[in-house]
Amino acid sequence: MDKNIPLTIAIPKGRLQKYTMTILEKGGIDCSALKAPSRRLIISVPGTKWRFLLSKPSDVPTYVEYGAADLGVVGKDTLLEGGKDVAELMDLKFGQCSLIVAVPEASGISDVKELDFNSRVATTFPFITTEYFNRHGIQAEVVKLNGSVELGPIVGLADAIVDITETGTTLLENGLIPIAEVARVSARLIANQVSYKVKHTSICQLMRRLQKALQTQNAGQEG
Amino acid sequence: MAESTLKTPRGTKDFLPKDARHKRWIEETLLELFACWNYQEIVTPTMEYQSVVTAEGALGPGDNLYRFFEKEGELIALRPDATTPVARLVAARLKEEPKPIRLCYSANVFRYAEPHAGRRREFYQAGVELVGSSSYRADAETIALAVQALKAVGLKDFRIDIGHVDFYNGILEHGRLSNSERRRIRTALLKKDYVALGEFMADSNLAEADKKLLEMLPHLRGGKDILAEALKAVTNPISQKAVHDLQAIYELLGAFDVVQWVQIDLGMVKDIEYYTGMVLEAYTADMGFTIGTGGRYDNLISQFGYDCPATGFALGVERLMLAISRQNAWPETSDKKVLCTYYQDAARQGWLLSKTLRKHGFIVELDVVAREPCMDPTQVVDYARTMGHQWIVVPLASDAIKVWHGKMGWQTVDLQKLITILERGEWLG
Repeated sequence: MDKNIPLTIAIPKGRLQKYTMTILEKGGIDCSALKAPSRRLIISVPGTKWRFLLSKPSDVPTYVEYGAADLGVVGKDTLLEGGKDVAELMDLKFGQCSLIVAVPEASGISDVKELDFNSRVATTFPFITTEYFNRHGIQAEVVKLNGSVELGPIVGLADAIVDITETGTTLLENGLIPIAEVARVSARLIANQVSYKVKHTSICQLMRRLQKALQTQNAGQEG
Repeated sequence: MAESTLKTPRGTKDFLPKDARHKRWIEETLLELFACWNYQEIVTPTMEYQSVVTAEGALGPGDNLYRFFEKEGELIALRPDATTPVARLVAARLKEEPKPIRLCYSANVFRYAEPHAGRRREFYQAGVELVGSSSYRADAETIALAVQALKAVGLKDFRIDIGHVDFYNGILEHGRLSNSERRRIRTALLKKDYVALGEFMADSNLAEADKKLLEMLPHLRGGKDILAEALKAVTNPISQKAVHDLQAIYELLGAFDVVQWVQIDLGMVKDIEYYTGMVLEAYTADMGFTIGTGGRYDNLISQFGYDCPATGFALGVERLMLAISRQNAWPETSDKKVLCTYYQDAARQGWLLSKTLRKHGFIVELDVVAREPCMDPTQVVDYARTMGHQWIVVPLASDAIKVWHGKMGWQTVDLQKLITILERGEWLG
């Protein structure tokens, strides 16, 4: 079932796209077709079995779960939030950031335990947030927003936020300070459960190449 | 009218005639095949006492159950799988029967989980249980039967992966891991979360050799040589025995001529915890999720007080429907539909004619539209066309019958000739 069957990779548009292309090129997949300015969302690499599908990052696990894409690259945050049944094959190490709980500096709160029954938490990750607060026994009310959650505390919608931060700059600019880390996040290579069986040889070959690329990259950073 | 009166509950579906026909065809094809292998059909209740479906070793997550109270106060659950009720039935009623005993079923099961890819809250399974044999021959038989079943419904491109729960159990046992550590590994392997598996190994004090084995697990896939490779790598007796079991099964599958459909996958972990030996998973290349699942469960029936080994599998009927559609493998239907319409004074002739034609295997609709006083042929033909009838028959006086076919128009014949025409599907010369 393995020979010459096309392999489709779902690539996240936006923040992770550039890094994804870099690592895939290091893994021996020609991504020049992706770089050409185009509005096309599905792009085949001529002369190879590879095919790219450009999707909104939060949709990558969905394409992969249904087998519309065999592989995908996506942030661990999206995976945790989506709860999709996909195989998580590799930590690709880029797109590293933190999922944190932050509060207005002026609130004087320094520990999540100080949030209570009456607290509201704004986030684009309601599932992870609910899970996190449940785990800590805190009955905060989770308010789902679709972006710019930093706004929540400023206008009195929420007492805290759960959000992704890379450097913390946006938080600071909005008078917020992190008080707890919910999860460390980085990009992952995911696969459809059946594709992983059916196209095992090709997928493993790609994984070996990516592994090697990551090792050289690490060595480069250390050296 | 409330909006909900037109909807079905989340995760459930109506089967319209075409789908219902396809579903029925799959179930009949499978049950007929199972019967040829001496598997006898059983029917268990849709609902069970909760204590049955949550028995130790039965289906894991209890929060996926549909539960309610009986008037008497007992907690009832809709069956979340078909195997556990069979285990109860065997322990309760078939203890004295000579073993092994072969049982099969076609049943709906219920999981109260968020519906997603290929998963609904109510779905249909058809499967077999071979009860009372711990022989590898029993395992090989169920695998071979699963292959025949997938072929019988017309699938061409499919595979069955087989593994063994004791292969990785042996590794965990050997590493002396705590229960929570085992659970972490199990979850990681089950979800194929190899990142989590790697993280676990990075901060565990598992022996290097065992770590290496766990790392190998996802890659132990392929043919016979994988078993030899695995045997070289493991030193613990539990894993070794698992490989020997699979070798015996695999060899038998060769003799049974089904080995080309089967692949070894030693990294396979199942979401259901009652499996104790060989496990299997069936899938097709063109679908993102499995179409069948099964394995050996030697400790499940003993939860109901009767120590008895068993093995079996279940196929997902809706998933088969999808796979067959994807592979364009539905059998051609050659149903000949006949409309029998009659004049008011010929009701008895209409009744008798339709009865005769049905006896000959035709699908006959006895017209309920009153077409008196003068029957307009074009109107009848329009009606027949709309309803998908290939033929119209109208009994006349003196045993003559007017017959119409879409391509050839009207003719008047006698009964004998009519039957010949219908059977041949064309006018006689």
